[in-house]
Amino acid sequence: MRGVERYRPKMRASRALGLLVLFVAAVAAAWWFVGRRPATVGDTIAVYYTKTDGVTLAPWRVSLGPARDRTSVAFYAVTQCIAGPPPGTPAVRFPAATRVLTVDVSGASATVDLSHEVAGASAEGSFAESAEFKALVWTLTQPSLGISTVNIRIDGARVATLPGGHLELDEALSRASF
Amino acid sequence: MRLFNRLAAGVLALGLLAVPARAQAPAPVLWFQGTRLVFEHAVPDRGDIAVSTRDGGLRKFLDRLGASVAFEPQSRYVIVTAQDRRTIVFTIDDASYTVDGVRLRAPFAVKADGSDAVLPFFALARALYIEAVPNGAETVLQPRVGVLDVRSDGPRTFVTVRAAMPLVSTTNAETAERLQITFVGQGSSLEGVRKPAGSALDEVNVGVGGSARVPTTTLTLSGIPGTTHRIIPADGPQAFTVVFEPRAGDADAGAQGATSPAPAATAAPPIVVGRSTVTDLTIEPAADDALSVRINLSSPANFEWHRLLDHRWYLDLSDTTLSGPGRDERPSFGAVQSVRVRQTGSSDAPVVRIAFTLSADEQIAIEPDDTGLTILVTNVTALDAERNGSGRTGLPAAAAGTPTDEPLASPTPWKFGPAPNGSRTIVIDPGHGGDDTGTAHNGLVEKTLTFEIAQRLRALLIAQGWTVRLTRDSDVDPVSNDNLARMRADGKPNADDRAYLQTRCDVANSVNARLFISLHVNSAPFSGARGSTFYWYKPQDAPFAQALERAVIAAAGTQDDGTRHENFYVVRHTTMPAVLIETAFVTNPADVELLRQPSFLQNLAQGIANGVKAFAGTPQASSVSAQ
Repeated sequence: MRGVERYRPKMRASRALGLLVLFVAAVAAAWWFVGRRPATVGDTIAVYYTKTDGVTLAPWRVSLGPARDRTSVAFYAVTQCIAGPPPGTPAVRFPAATRVLTVDVSGASATVDLSHEVAGASAEGSFAESAEFKALVWTLTQPSLGISTVNIRIDGARVATLPGGHLELDEALSRASF
Repeated sequence: MRLFNRLAAGVLALGLLAVPARAQAPAPVLWFQGTRLVFEHAVPDRGDIAVSTRDGGLRKFLDRLGASVAFEPQSRYVIVTAQDRRTIVFTIDDASYTVDGVRLRAPFAVKADGSDAVLPFFALARALYIEAVPNGAETVLQPRVGVLDVRSDGPRTFVTVRAAMPLVSTTNAETAERLQITFVGQGSSLEGVRKPAGSALDEVNVGVGGSARVPTTTLTLSGIPGTTHRIIPADGPQAFTVVFEPRAGDADAGAQGATSPAPAATAAPPIVVGRSTVTDLTIEPAADDALSVRINLSSPANFEWHRLLDHRWYLDLSDTTLSGPGRDERPSFGAVQSVRVRQTGSSDAPVVRIAFTLSADEQIAIEPDDTGLTILVTNVTALDAERNGSGRTGLPAAAAGTPTDEPLASPTPWKFGPAPNGSRTIVIDPGHGGDDTGTAHNGLVEKTLTFEIAQRLRALLIAQGWTVRLTRDSDVDPVSNDNLARMRADGKPNADDRAYLQTRCDVANSVNARLFISLHVNSAPFSGARGSTFYWYKPQDAPFAQALERAVIAAAGTQDDGTRHENFYVVRHTTMPAVLIETAFVTNPADVELLRQPSFLQNLAQGIANGVKAFAGTPQASSVSAQ
């Protein structure tokens, strides 16, 4: 009996240690899996535009091609947003010739690099400036993309504001910014 | 020149010979708008030409059409945006592509080549309304009239043609009921006669002529008896719109049509001061088969929700109005069978109700934020779900939807925010200055107008007993050397830009001012936008913005564009209640007429002064001074 009593604690200790290691490994695996799990994206994605009252957002849905990875879809959504809704739809649009240079997605943050035309003459004043970037932020932060904040670059550089001098652009924008 | 062309063709042919497999045939000689289109590297492939997105020839071609291409190696999409904002979307390793959402098939799949992508050129050109037309040994890239859009709105019928290039037209024949126009330099694939039923048009006839290099398209529009027509502005030089309507039509309807060819245009929702308005409501699928309902509100509102026993659930937004009609939707996804949005309550106590019929007691998350709230209906059945709750928008998400014994924030917007700091100083910030002119249209310059209004406002506030400081006393863009040095030293980018804006904030922060008012003049890319907008960022700014809104609209008579929460630097980085006022638009004819009148500038200043008095009262007379 004494031998058994001495043996049991050793078994319990090693089993507990093994279980602990297994538990840590499982948590690490779950963390890794959740962190790398691709966002769920359907066949279409919502792209927002701001109506001509300068404040009301409206979505239109565009069909995705076969590429569904988050970076591709984010790039696609931003480019559609910059192009704006179909011709004839009354909307506050980004200045003509504005191009999407890059869209980088990292975790819950996206960085959008736009060409300098975005700061063109039609971007003067807070009206167009806020309407345009509101639509862009809402497009990128829709639930299926898993993005909550958007950083803006112009020709690769961070800028404090657009020439209108209003919207603060060198800090991340979110839906709460508008 | 001819010798050069021959040499170039020879070099191109030699280059193509070096390409194996499908590069057996030489690339065709292409002409576009009277000049030879030469690619740096083009490979014929299954009836098309493979051209890289970085090819100088392709870039010139797109530039001529006002189009641009977007591609980055990390993304699998290659997107060309046309001048009229249509998008042509290719996917790497896929032969299908979409033109404004319509799926088509290219002869070969787009390939990525390092930081470059190789596209089917003829497929792309066709999507841009450019058709390759054989012309002897050469191929002419012929601009086309690509779209003929006939649509009716009541008794009126609109005909819009869209083309690849700016339309140059000559009118051949014109009566009230008939118009014949020829577009020179544009071919068309729309040849034929059409009889649009149920419209103001009897017949639409499209004829083509000319040569491959100089094509013509003739459009003949014949209205039904008793109609007349007029040409109205289209949304760009590549489009042309004609409206046919009854000759004895309603004058008002005609006038409306003259300025608003798009019947879908919507007016700004009315904003009632002190009451919240649903400015937008979006229903869309969310991750994990959930349904997301997003409600944007013009100002914070209280809400309460109830779960009924028969799988119905509703949320009431109190003292809130809808800006449009109610909604009835049956989403084809998630656990929600129907969504209904209704205006209920009374005119004195309006309520907006959002109601769901669910398939079971699904879990529902309510996420209020500064601009409204999001209702997320999950696909997970809630066991022993709570039956009711309440909250308020404008609060952190964690505080909402959770039953609490704490009293809710007061529904009266004038009561929240920190107590006044007791200062008797108000800082006025005339926007822009010096080299920074701000917006300038119709002979009006923003920096001049803001300074003019600021001087008038200063006099009025001093008369009320306030000490007044301006962020600039002349035509300069103020910046402090300390700010420049500090901003440059802290390692953040845009040191200079931040220093300029921070200097304006510092004027107010350094004296612990009671209020900060930044004056601006707005502009828009179209002339329809008009009115005054009051921007705020911090919670204590909101009631000040509402007070200014009410007083300025009453005194100046501008259109009320409401108060808006916005991430603007000067209202964000000041420590006291601060508002940025966009007084009127220098791009709207009616506002321009107002801004040219000194009496209007005085009324604006008087309105702002009245708003200050309504919000903050008046200071002690003993502290009066002007700086």
